Amino acid sequence: MRKFFSSPTAVVGTTLLTIVLFAALFGPLIAPFDPQEFHPVARLQGPSATYWLGTDQFGRDLLSRILNGAPATVSFGLFSTAIGVGVGSVIGVIAGVSGGWVDSTIMRILDGLLAVPDLLFTLLIVTVLGGGMEHALLAVAVAFTPGMARIARSAVLSVRTRDYVRAAVARGESGFYIVTCEVLPNALSPIVVESTIRVSFAIMIGATLGFLGLGAQPPSTEWGLMVSEARQFMFRNPWCVAIPGMSIAMAALGFNLFGDALRDALDPRRSH
Amino acid sequence: MTVSLAPAPTDAASSKEKPALAIRNYSLSYKTDSGLVTALKNIDLTIKKGQTIGLVGESGSGKSSMAWSVMRYLPPNAVETGGAIRLAGEELLDYTQRQMLDIRGSRMAMVFQDPSTSLNPTMRIGEQIAETLMRHRGLSKIEAFAYAEAALARTGITRPKEMLTRYPHEASGGEKQRVVIATAFACEPELIIFDEPTTALDILTARQILDLFNQLREETNVSALYISHDLGLVSRVVDEVSVLHHGVIVESGPVDEVFRRPKADYTRQLIGAVPNPDRWLGVDAPNPPKTLVKLDAIGVQYGAPSKFQKMFWPDDAEKAGYWGAKDVNLTVRKGELLGVVGESGSGKSTIAKVLAGLQDFHGKLEFDGQSITSRKGIDKSYRRRVQLVFQHPDASLNPRQKIGTIIARPLKLYGVVPREKVSARVAELLEMVRLPADFAHRYPHQLSGGQKQRVAIARAFAAEPDLVICDEVTAALDVSVQAAVAELLVKLQKDTGTACVFITHDLNLIRQLAHRIAVMHHGKLVDLFDRDDARSPARDAYTKALLDAVPVPETLAPETITTEA
Repeated sequence: MRKFFSSPTAVVGTTLLTIVLFAALFGPLIAPFDPQEFHPVARLQGPSATYWLGTDQFGRDLLSRILNGAPATVSFGLFSTAIGVGVGSVIGVIAGVSGGWVDSTIMRILDGLLAVPDLLFTLLIVTVLGGGMEHALLAVAVAFTPGMARIARSAVLSVRTRDYVRAAVARGESGFYIVTCEVLPNALSPIVVESTIRVSFAIMIGATLGFLGLGAQPPSTEWGLMVSEARQFMFRNPWCVAIPGMSIAMAALGFNLFGDALRDALDPRRSH
Repeated sequence: MTVSLAPAPTDAASSKEKPALAIRNYSLSYKTDSGLVTALKNIDLTIKKGQTIGLVGESGSGKSSMAWSVMRYLPPNAVETGGAIRLAGEELLDYTQRQMLDIRGSRMAMVFQDPSTSLNPTMRIGEQIAETLMRHRGLSKIEAFAYAEAALARTGITRPKEMLTRYPHEASGGEKQRVVIATAFACEPELIIFDEPTTALDILTARQILDLFNQLREETNVSALYISHDLGLVSRVVDEVSVLHHGVIVESGPVDEVFRRPKADYTRQLIGAVPNPDRWLGVDAPNPPKTLVKLDAIGVQYGAPSKFQKMFWPDDAEKAGYWGAKDVNLTVRKGELLGVVGESGSGKSTIAKVLAGLQDFHGKLEFDGQSITSRKGIDKSYRRRVQLVFQHPDASLNPRQKIGTIIARPLKLYGVVPREKVSARVAELLEMVRLPADFAHRYPHQLSGGQKQRVAIARAFAAEPDLVICDEVTAALDVSVQAAVAELLVKLQKDTGTACVFITHDLNLIRQLAHRIAVMHHGKLVDLFDRDDARSPARDAYTKALLDAVPVPETLAPETITTEA
């Protein structure tokens, strides 16, 4: 554990992540104001003693809105990634383990899906399903599946030809044992690392969808939507765009750096 | 004129006295997470003009660090803690990296272990040699190419002009190493460092490269530092030898002196560990011989044509793929040790894979009366009775399982012992391979290479098999560890009566262990003979060539062996 925190990446990543997760868990409880409460006399203000991070066009307290939006934004990233990684890994492991024509068929279909950029693919799905937080979440999960499947498959393939797996085959072990005890534990770390990094992408895509009006709907406090709503007043009070924008960046960076540090720490040969 | 000549003789005399390379009291450490690790300690080494010094040591002894120190190309975490390295009297430690650029390649050159990675695959061979010449001797491109051709011709390449226009992948391993050597010699350097130049080559090619080295050395009178782990080989090429152990030179002197009358314990141990074909280690041959496994016309085709291909392009399909092994007929007797020898790509590992049920094959496999015609026909009881030990112990143990779990697996899988006795049996097995019982709680990466190989052997013997296939089990290990592992195998064979197929490229080692030796070449079995008949005139020409090519440690006089034994 001490080894993990010896790199600056890990320290910065973990710090950012702790702040973001704290906000996601306790944000609504510690918010000083009701996020939807209008303060008509204090519209579009900069940071002050009353409103720590300033107010938006309706005079709503930005800090309270950010804290209230944290659970929605972070859980969006986590859940969409979890679904995408789960489904993707299962497909990837099946392809990698079975090989042959099963592998070829699955991978050619996934290659086709991968040719469409993530965001475009998500937009396509949202257009078909209709807007809203749940649909956006599902769309991101579906968009992540092909990429994760490919990573899971390559992890499995690189392990499958190792001597210890061949030793298990030569021993006459069952296919189930080989996959669960020999292959998966060794293929897991690239999948875990990749999914941590993907949470940050999911948050960004979620914010983008919110910005485009396809994700969360007003008066939600989702961060992407906040940027979108405040865009018109950007020049009168830059704070109302910068604060949610920086929150998104902080969450994304936190997950990303943490994922990077995790990759270095998860290698069994480098721990201890 | 006479006046100006006056100081000249003293100059000449002093430069004559100056050795090509002098290393004085040199120490080197590496900064790591666990503090400073000493790689070299108080090294003293002198190479006189025209002399070749051998530097012998096992992996981790610091011999490669020494090479890079002399070349002044150390990684950023290296800390030099004192000493001097002088090339013809000039202190290299004072030179900047920029100044070293002019020295490397022109006054000092290096020949690496693996010729396929030391040549740039995207450049023609001619350009690579000419580059050095143009850079250091200021030749024009045409002059450089002409010179490169001459340099190649000198290394015994038959059509040097053609070779210049080829890319590295169009040349064989031996040819590539000749090119690297030609490049090293191109600028007539004062010193050449050879870092295990024959380790990555086949026995026959290695022999030719050694001859070439000796010939070029006589022609050019170059000074050389020859780094190797192979004592037998070093004794053929060097004048003096230094033995490196944990970064300290434990002994140095003329090669005959060191090998005949080693003073340091470590040297003695190292020499004792060198396989000597006349020292028999194996168990008594089984009598009367009973057949355990019979390979009947076994063939393995890699890249076999698909049905689709056969249907539409029958002509191409016939040419597709190649035979990793073809028409191999071989028997393994109960309780014997059968050696299988061959160069890389000769099909010896293919045979191991067939026996272990890892490879589809043509032909018939008879095991203890049971006849098997395809890989799918191999059942679990066969798999229990035939176990495989792999070449690389790092790769054959699952890094996420503890040693105890790894060894216990065959016990549980085949139900060799009742469940409650598994851990006791694991401890017993560990003791059998001479490892402490508490190793059961460690992970593979906490063990050394030799220890890991012992674990792999324990796992194979845990199944109480009738046949253990050892696929180059000693190739990845150091000489002294190698000898210990070989002795361990023989001991286990003696205790359990298990038959063993020992696959290796080391003829000296196999002649110490095997009852019978099979020789493979290009996927075919070319020779099969009893150990005692190794030198009989009836041997196949290829076998003879192999036997002649192995550097039998000539200087190891019988007296050394007897004191060791």
